Amino acid sequence: MPQRNQRPKDAPSEYQTIAAQYARAKRLKEIEDANKKLLGAEAKQERSGAAEKQRGAFEARRKMGYERRFGWTFAFWVWMTCIHVVGIVLFTGGFLLTRLVLDEKSECSVPPIEPLLTWEGQGSMEGGCWHPKTFDKAVVVLVDALRYDFTVPVKNLTEAEIYHNAFPFLYETAIESPNNAVLLPFIADPPTSTLQRLKGLTTGTLPTLNDLGSSFGGTAIEEDNLLMQLNTLGRRIVHLGDDTWTSLFPGYFEANISKPYDSFNVWDLHTVDNGVLEHIFPLMQKENQTKWDVLIGHFLGVDHAGHRYGPNHAAMTAKLQQMNSFVQDLVKTLDDDTVLIVMGDHGMDSKGDHGGESDDEVEAALWMYSKRPVFGRTLPEYVTPPATAKERPVNQIDLVPTLALLLGLPIPFNNLGRPIEEAFAGIKGTAWDNLAAVSRLASAGIRRYQASYFVARGIEQNSKPGSPAELWDRATESATTNTNLKGRELVYRAYTAYQEETLRICKDLWARFDVPKMALGIAVMALGVLVLLVYVSRDEDDDFAVLDDAELDLAEKSLELQDASSRTELPSYQTLSQSLVKSALIGSAIGGALGAGYVSMMSEEQDWTMAAAITALTSSLAVTISLFGLGKSLANLLPNTIWGWLGVIFTVSQSIGFASNSYTIWEDSISLFFLSTFGFVSMIAALRLPARTDRILGIYHSVVFILLGRLASFSKLCREEQMPYCTSTYYASANSSTSAPWQLALPFVVFAGLPSIIKGYLISSRSYEALAPFWIGYVFRGALGLAATYWTLDAAGNGQWLIDYLPETTLKTIQVAIAQGVLALAFVAGTTAFVWAPPCISVFTRAGSGGRTAQVTILGYGNANGARYLLLVVNFAAACMLLSKPMGSGALALMLWQVLSLVDMVDLNGLSTESIGPIVLALLGEFYYFKTGHQAVLSSIQWDSAFIPLFTLRYPWSPLVVMFNTFAGQILACVAVPLLALWKTSPKRKGGLETVTRCLGIFVAYYAVESLATMMWAGHLRRHLMLFRVFNPRFMMGAAVLLVVDVVGMLVALAGVRANTVAVSEVFGWAD
Amino acid sequence: MAVPSGKTVAAGSGQKTASADDEVLCRAIPTLPSPLAQALRHVHPALLLSLFYLRFGALVRDPVSTLLSALPAVAVLQVAYAVICLPAAGSSAAVQPAKKLRPGEKRKPVTDANAPNITSTVVVALGLSMFATFGLQIFFVLFGAPLLTHIPQTTLCSLHLSLLGLFPLFYTHGISTSDWLEILGARAPFDEAFGGLVGGCVGAWAGAVPIPLDWDREWQKWPITILCGVYGGYVAGKLIGGTLAFGKKFGG
Repeated sequence: MPQRNQRPKDAPSEYQTIAAQYARAKRLKEIEDANKKLLGAEAKQERSGAAEKQRGAFEARRKMGYERRFGWTFAFWVWMTCIHVVGIVLFTGGFLLTRLVLDEKSECSVPPIEPLLTWEGQGSMEGGCWHPKTFDKAVVVLVDALRYDFTVPVKNLTEAEIYHNAFPFLYETAIESPNNAVLLPFIADPPTSTLQRLKGLTTGTLPTLNDLGSSFGGTAIEEDNLLMQLNTLGRRIVHLGDDTWTSLFPGYFEANISKPYDSFNVWDLHTVDNGVLEHIFPLMQKENQTKWDVLIGHFLGVDHAGHRYGPNHAAMTAKLQQMNSFVQDLVKTLDDDTVLIVMGDHGMDSKGDHGGESDDEVEAALWMYSKRPVFGRTLPEYVTPPATAKERPVNQIDLVPTLALLLGLPIPFNNLGRPIEEAFAGIKGTAWDNLAAVSRLASAGIRRYQASYFVARGIEQNSKPGSPAELWDRATESATTNTNLKGRELVYRAYTAYQEETLRICKDLWARFDVPKMALGIAVMALGVLVLLVYVSRDEDDDFAVLDDAELDLAEKSLELQDASSRTELPSYQTLSQSLVKSALIGSAIGGALGAGYVSMMSEEQDWTMAAAITALTSSLAVTISLFGLGKSLANLLPNTIWGWLGVIFTVSQSIGFASNSYTIWEDSISLFFLSTFGFVSMIAALRLPARTDRILGIYHSVVFILLGRLASFSKLCREEQMPYCTSTYYASANSSTSAPWQLALPFVVFAGLPSIIKGYLISSRSYEALAPFWIGYVFRGALGLAATYWTLDAAGNGQWLIDYLPETTLKTIQVAIAQGVLALAFVAGTTAFVWAPPCISVFTRAGSGGRTAQVTILGYGNANGARYLLLVVNFAAACMLLSKPMGSGALALMLWQVLSLVDMVDLNGLSTESIGPIVLALLGEFYYFKTGHQAVLSSIQWDSAFIPLFTLRYPWSPLVVMFNTFAGQILACVAVPLLALWKTSPKRKGGLETVTRCLGIFVAYYAVESLATMMWAGHLRRHLMLFRVFNPRFMMGAAVLLVVDVVGMLVALAGVRANTVAVSEVFGWAD
Repeated sequence: MAVPSGKTVAAGSGQKTASADDEVLCRAIPTLPSPLAQALRHVHPALLLSLFYLRFGALVRDPVSTLLSALPAVAVLQVAYAVICLPAAGSSAAVQPAKKLRPGEKRKPVTDANAPNITSTVVVALGLSMFATFGLQIFFVLFGAPLLTHIPQTTLCSLHLSLLGLFPLFYTHGISTSDWLEILGARAPFDEAFGGLVGGCVGAWAGAVPIPLDWDREWQKWPITILCGVYGGYVAGKLIGGTLAFGKKFGG
């Protein structure tokens, strides 16, 4: 067995003896104490000696000192997190689109312009407010995530996917009876989340990303919208299905007959749909028809099938077929005065997810149907519905004026959509006067909205040629000159041109950024990064990592004993956090006062984020000043070794790379490249080691590190932009989100192998002692076995293998029980065990050579700090593996293995004082983010993971579980940070806490730099074509990751180190 | 086992470098002083680069056959360079650098009884370079090159790197374990051969940088950018290693 932890070779026995003596003294004291208690003899207590007492006093003082230092360090990290939060909030406030919400409402009797037509009942609901109404009632069926190509039959069966030809009814009716039915591609404005889409579909405005975050909650719409108009005009609305509607439109729906259903139970494909089906047909019966004017049914099955399985799954076909027969049945119940609209609110990407703005996500379908012939086409070839969504698409906001005018409602005030041609073209397709009339009304509405928006924002409208103002003038002029039917076509075209141009300008306008706020956010972040960098920079004075000298320690201790009154000044590294936090507090106080004063007195908008910005800036400045005052300087940041340079190259080149969409897209491959580079360089470094065993071990760990990274790189989930150069392997196929059968074996391989691998690493330092064998060999292995069982059962549920033996609900109950059991083992039992566990050491006594004393041997002394801390990492690994898909748990197992070889490499090459260790760990975290089936796009969030340990959505657990699934790589890396500082260090190691916080500082600094870079680039490239596809999601990911590692770093890594140190020091005594 | 757990005392890094410096075995090997060698030393990189430049169009069109057809030419160039400019492994010049001649002094004819056989050295070095190709290829894959596709491309690319970077080292150092430990540990002093290897490797590393860009250029395909890096890096490394950095080492 290699005994590499014998290094340096000189006189190991001496250390052992000292340690042994120490342990003996300690044990003697314990025995003595016990005796004292037993006998209660005071005389003995007096005899126990002044020295012993004094030693106890010093121990207590050291412990108190440690607790104090820990408190200050923790406070520093709390402050750092606050700075990050303020920076991110500021930037986000200025970056994510903001749109002013106007309160004006359209009124039935006040059209925005004199209508071209005259009709009976003009200006009232009976005849139609602004335009003669076509229908009295409407049934709106929303099939969530109904992608356009689901509705287009594919004739050639060899080319057809599973989901094709399952929902042909819409297409067939549109061809067979074009005057009764229209099928069109229905383009969503991103973000393609249901909440945002419902806003667009009812208000007719463009969504802004500002609302995206509230998708989990939902907030009421206050702008003018279709439902509000219906309500004001006394129409009754009934809603069935997805409860997002109820949170957006509280109190709008007819009580008792409306049935909302919980919308986030992604694993549940049927409850919502069956509920709608159950309640919709009774409402369609004659006697119930009088109870409502507009009926909304929102199906979620297709969306959930997409999320759970991906489109390419039999469950999707079944769902689409169900929708097909449902629409067929529904059509039979319609009367002549009711219009039926079936639509998707968004599409889904190739894995069945949505949220972003890829083509597949924005292309939904729209089908309008009426028993009475109403619809027409202006050209005969338009009768065939478009083959792809690229031809003749309509915008989703276009439904708003269309539905409003068809039902005789006023168009909502904020509407930017234009009437859909087919609905107003007449059955012959030549009703140009009608088209001109509706187009003119919609245009006038848009113009009216624009005018008040510009007034509210204080912007001048421009009237250059080609501007909307000029187009408007041309259209109105055309309307007065061309009064015959043929001429009305020109009028219609002129108004359409105006609408198109206005929409384009609005899209541009609401991509309007609050640049000063963004700049402030960047400034706060940059200053935060600077503080962090200077904080972690080191000069020769604070080389506390080498203060691991038992002899020196003993000498100091005896000196201390001799001179009890001596109170040596604390070394600077111990007081660093304290003085920083103090200056931060002073700075915050000044800044807070300034900011509050400024905001409450000077500014009119009372924007308290400004006050936060000023506070953050002044306190970071104060900390920077005090850092420089303490002798830290920027010069220390310059790397002076190859390792330092590597760290700088990895971090800086990646940050620069985020300016390019290509490098952002291919980040997963780039991380592998960097990791291999590190492994390669450390292999070369290992060749330089003087001892042969060290050399071999160093090469071995480097090779393992590189090989494992390359192996993990085979787990891929490609983003759309990587096509066609990438093949997804994370799921069974590119079009599904379930695992292939062979992937189910991975968790079992992990179950069998990983505990043994960890054991191997612990045995090399003889630390597989005390709790370690039980915890890693049984508890951890048991948790992995349960997780593997969970995923097998999950696959069984998805494939319905056990459907004959077990009902689906029972299966789900078993799964949830298993998952909760694993999480309880990892977090509840795991944390308890970690806090109470003794160090991973074992003590032997044998007769000494002199025969006078017994020699005490402590196995695992050299890795007392690291081995015990590893238990915490292992607990988190178990939880993360359960919450990742089978492929992901395999990847995470490789990650843990790589982390272990990394810490050994760091130890062998003497890199514990270099910055490269934490940076490579951070890179590993990023790398495994991609290897656990994620990409820097919103649609890669595995929402279904929320239901691994739960039946329904529950706060705060569901978001927490999704977070653990999404950021498993980074969380695991963050929890492992202290290993870099503690691995193979003995209990007498001084400045352990300081080394850990420095490592954490470098680790967080990596993510902070990335976050700052993505922020800067997103801000700089805010007019880039790829902003919302590439740069914005990457910025959001960077910001989220930064906050996650901040919190995990504080609450897990730092707190874990404290618990670890307390446990180790209780046995070996307190080091400084 | 008798020896109980050791305690790790963090070893200062200074200790290691000191011991490393003590046992320097490998010396920088200067180019032979003959006029032909001195001339070829400068012509060689120019020839390599112009070969690369001339064949670049063909390389982009059809990397595999171009790389294959260029192999003999590159091999001949490298062999000629090694034979004419560099001392073969085992020769006294390779072990001990030739003393600088004082003006007027005549060089003693090399009468080395153990003078190596040039031909066999070349053959062995070529064979070793071929063999090392597989090692390089594994590294390419580990750094992210495709594992199952583009195998001829990767093999040929590593063969070229091997001919450029490794062949001169095999020629001058043979299979001396201690020398190779120094070379692979990047502790060897810089000379033309070692500089060329370092330059070639760094060039190959940097050659991966333009691959992900979405410029849709033909030359972005595997392994053309890597080869550009290899050739450029090799020439630059050889130049710097033979002049500015000659005799110096990494890390001081």
